[in-house]
Amino acid sequence: MKKASMTRRLFLLSTGAAATGLIVGCSTAAAKGKGYSAIAGAFEPNSFIQITPDNKVIFYLPSSEMGQGILDGLTTLIAEELRVQPTAIDVRHASLHEDYKNPEMGMQATGGSNATRAQFLPLRQAAADTAAAIRNAAAKQLDQPLDKIVLADGQVMVEGKSYGFGDFVAVAALMPVPENSPLRSPKQFDQIGRERPRLDALSKSTGTAEFGIDAEVDNLYRAVVVRSPVLGATLQGFDASAALKRSGVVDVVKIKSGVAVVAQSYWQARQAAAVLELNWEKTELGSWSSDSIYNKFNETLNDSSQKGLECCDEGEGDKLLDQSATVVAADYYAPYLAHATMEPLNCTVEINGDACAIYLGTQNVQASAGAAVYYGDFDADKVKVHPAFLGGGFGRRGLGDDVAEAVLIAQKTGRNIQLVWSREDDMSNDFYRPAALVRMQAGVSEQGLIETWAVRRVGPNIMGYMLDEWVDALAPDYLNKGFVDWLSKLGRPIFNRFIADPSAGDGIYSDYDAPNKAVRHVTQDPGLRTGFWRSVGHSSNAFFKESFIDELAQSAGIDELDFRLANMKNNPRLTEATQLVAAKAGWGKTLPEGHFHGLATHSSFGSAVAQIAEVSIKGTQIIVHKVTAAIHCGMVVNPGIVRDQVEGGIIYGLTAALHGEITLVDGVIQQSNFHNYPMLRMADAPEVEVHIVESQEHPEGVGEPGLPPLAPAVANAVFKASGQRLRDLPLRLS
Amino acid sequence: MITFQLNNSPVQVDIDPDTPLLWVVRDHFKLKGSKFGCGMGLCGACTMHVNGEAVRTCTMPISAVQGAAITSIEGLGTPDNLHPLQQAWVEYSVPQCGYCQSGQLMSASALLAKNPNPSDDDIEIAMNGNICRCGTYSKIKSAIKSVSKSVSKSEAMRTQGSMVGTFDPTNGNAISTEAGS
Repeated sequence: MKKASMTRRLFLLSTGAAATGLIVGCSTAAAKGKGYSAIAGAFEPNSFIQITPDNKVIFYLPSSEMGQGILDGLTTLIAEELRVQPTAIDVRHASLHEDYKNPEMGMQATGGSNATRAQFLPLRQAAADTAAAIRNAAAKQLDQPLDKIVLADGQVMVEGKSYGFGDFVAVAALMPVPENSPLRSPKQFDQIGRERPRLDALSKSTGTAEFGIDAEVDNLYRAVVVRSPVLGATLQGFDASAALKRSGVVDVVKIKSGVAVVAQSYWQARQAAAVLELNWEKTELGSWSSDSIYNKFNETLNDSSQKGLECCDEGEGDKLLDQSATVVAADYYAPYLAHATMEPLNCTVEINGDACAIYLGTQNVQASAGAAVYYGDFDADKVKVHPAFLGGGFGRRGLGDDVAEAVLIAQKTGRNIQLVWSREDDMSNDFYRPAALVRMQAGVSEQGLIETWAVRRVGPNIMGYMLDEWVDALAPDYLNKGFVDWLSKLGRPIFNRFIADPSAGDGIYSDYDAPNKAVRHVTQDPGLRTGFWRSVGHSSNAFFKESFIDELAQSAGIDELDFRLANMKNNPRLTEATQLVAAKAGWGKTLPEGHFHGLATHSSFGSAVAQIAEVSIKGTQIIVHKVTAAIHCGMVVNPGIVRDQVEGGIIYGLTAALHGEITLVDGVIQQSNFHNYPMLRMADAPEVEVHIVESQEHPEGVGEPGLPPLAPAVANAVFKASGQRLRDLPLRLS
Repeated sequence: MITFQLNNSPVQVDIDPDTPLLWVVRDHFKLKGSKFGCGMGLCGACTMHVNGEAVRTCTMPISAVQGAAITSIEGLGTPDNLHPLQQAWVEYSVPQCGYCQSGQLMSASALLAKNPNPSDDDIEIAMNGNICRCGTYSKIKSAIKSVSKSVSKSEAMRTQGSMVGTFDPTNGNAISTEAGS
């Protein structure tokens, strides 16, 4: 590490995790009691598990369930060690409490595909200690030696007799809870690794799963907000007289982001919102359009006086580039993207005196609560979050912008309100996956080994925008608000000028062995806010890297699979996944006429994924027939869910690869709904086959790693099919 | 005053006639299983049966359902009395986030009621109005095919009336449901 210690300190002060962790560390009082409400007579050994006298086992799920299957996965961990069937556990979404913080993030949040990895040992330990406590209590109560007490299938077995757990909760509650009880070994596992229907399938197949939008409280009014057509503009004035005359409308109020219309029903509020008249000030973003943004990126890419920030500098950097036998260079582009979760953002707020209850699906329970504290001026211990299922997350939910609006509306009107965003609100008020333009350069030896890997990347950063939301929501409430707001705005200049945003370099240089690497990122930001979009930097960087690897292999005259394997000798997980997918898809075999294979391999979130897309073209249409994938993600909790997540990543990635593009004209987002921001539909969905590399290593991420290799796998197949090397996303044949 | 059948119970509502059926069912009758996704009939999350046809209810004004028979996901089956498709949805672990699945099930059940043995093309045509952002399409197709193979047309149509007795249309109370864990 060449960086000076000063930079390191600045880094610690400013990176998202560190900054929020630091602030959260100050803000949160010592954990008080358990994270749940007490139940009379229940055994309550920790904040995760409650066992009632009538044998009910309740598990408080610390991570948000947004489709990724974490409800199933973490419940399975509890079931394994507690010796109960997963289906017998009553799972509830945990509200805010110190004990539910993600151990890696230091924040009660769900993202970065880390929940299984981070909770794999702590939750099993909590369950194992609980099981040990039940055994101890049974031994004492029945006056039997401990080795005669066996837990199995939710029962306490003693000398051929069986008892319910509940028979011993009263005694267990009076005894110390054991610590560091031995965990079951992988050979003993009978729940972890077993494939069975996911636990939330029933409620989600009967319309009974409760999402945020399904919340109901007494005297609930519905609210919609009209925001600036150019994101971030300040309201100059508005005329609500026509809106106020509409039936059902009870209030029209100005809030931070725009003007809210409150009515008895959503439909009434939405109709009235259409007749509001608003004036917005002009902003800098209003002077940008997609063409001018691209041109500015391109100008910056070619302006060598702008050195940018270092993401990676290994060996001799790019100094020896020209000395290689073959030097290849190519520019690639990826556009802004919207998340488009199926459930539009919403938040329900109920205020009782100085107490505030908020109901929503959120990836960040802590930031959601914090937004209510910050914007609503509530005492932190007077805010109660009621988390629900998320109708998709993908990085969009949990920034606090939804809560801020809802709380402000509730306060200004003195009513309980449910704020519901329309699809149009969602599409034009996102935190977008940033666009990026990159120049890839590599020097390859005569033997086909990469000697130098050089990337110059231009585009906006993410972290500054995230900190702007999070610092407000997570700062201790004793800090002056003006100071907090000032602090929250520091992220952008820091990441624009001093420290490369981690997402800029994510995965763009790490998979291959090149001894010399230089990756630099030049910030160029028109001011459109950005955010974490499923797989974050990997979502575009894998496309750049893996398309370019094919270009290198082809210029060296080496098979694309062989070229990769020869250049990833220090990457055993990716090698295993690549070899598995090649065998399963039959790399090199004869395909139906007009069909071609494209390969891409990429590591992200601790896992390695390789994919082979089978593609044909018809005119200018790209048809993806099949995608075969292999994932190395360590130990697997439920293989069905791992396969589903990889397939889901492929479908999400294919929507982006073939259709995804957010464009601006004079700062106004041009996409509004699914007719002009289309989604992949069933008829266009390829057959997907997912294989899992057998492993006993610690579990790694699965929610995101399936996505990054998809676009380059398809692009590489398209090149074989058409001879056209498509270097811009979305993929369009000419 | 508009009157119609909701999950086989007669109901009436006095509301702005332009109000989409979706919001009447969700916010007036408090049946929350049908979802709002796009408001333009593009995503299918709001799909219900109107006289047996799969309809995007976010764009269907309540005035258009006068006298019609409406079935929402709550009328298709319950956790204790699953429609064969719901059973298949659970067995195949179809849902991920689950938000679109009520609509998917209503489109699929309308298809099977008319065409108990649909081809892949029939399924794709019938289901193409339903977006799933999580990418559960292949499992949806497999689940539909498993039911089309295993049940007769009359069983596939065994849906309506399953909620009679649990839904009180006079006060619009929510059905009491046990959320599966």
